[in-house]
Amino acid sequence: MVSGKFKSRTFRRVKITTPGGENKISYRHRAPAKPKCGGCGAILKGVPRARKSEIVNMPKTAKRPERPYGGVLCSKCTRAKIKDQARQTKI
Amino acid sequence: MFEPGRLCVKIAGRDAGKTCVIVKKIDDLIVLIDGETRRRKCNVRHLEPLEKTVDLNEDASHDEVKAVFEKFGLVVRDTKPKKSTERAKKQHKKKVKPVKVPKGQKKKKKVAAKKVEAPVVEKKPEVKTASDAAAAYVKEEVKK
Repeated sequence: MVSGKFKSRTFRRVKITTPGGENKISYRHRAPAKPKCGGCGAILKGVPRARKSEIVNMPKTAKRPERPYGGVLCSKCTRAKIKDQARQTKI
Repeated sequence: MFEPGRLCVKIAGRDAGKTCVIVKKIDDLIVLIDGETRRRKCNVRHLEPLEKTVDLNEDASHDEVKAVFEKFGLVVRDTKPKKSTERAKKQHKKKVKPVKVPKGQKKKKKVAAKKVEAPVVEKKPEVKTASDAAAAYVKEEVKK
């Protein structure tokens, strides 16, 4: 009999074969939503789709692109934003 | 637009948002840049030109660019020259060369030691139980 918390669909179900040859259902956490751009809402590339506890153990370079606004804005929105900033500034 | 001496802002890559100056025009699309960014080739599509231009000789050195940028109060990125690290070389084991035997002389064949065969001891069938002993006795009786 499964524990009560596993009866809801909060957890996803994975069929596994145990070392003894039995087929069982194991309950795993669902993956979080894909990270999206703050400007246009596009799915961000180079940002892992993993739980917080897994991301914490990753190196910094694996978490986001190494450019300004990396991991927040997509590359298109970043270019547009920096262009606007460059046209306003006067050296 | 993208001639030597033009100040630009890089809009793509890890140096995005940093100002640079065009040092040399290599191609219709590709230029050599230097300044706050790394000194590198760059596509002009990754640059946003600014209004200002500076006096620079074509193919100017990094120190010349540095002198110009200090006037504007911009910090130039300096890359340290790479030092080749000294590694301890692995010492391979030298192979011992076999001694050459001059022609005519034949190599001595190794004489294989003859195996001494152990004397086989014939085992007599042992009588274990009383019933077997009785059966054996009957057989001997029949033979007689």
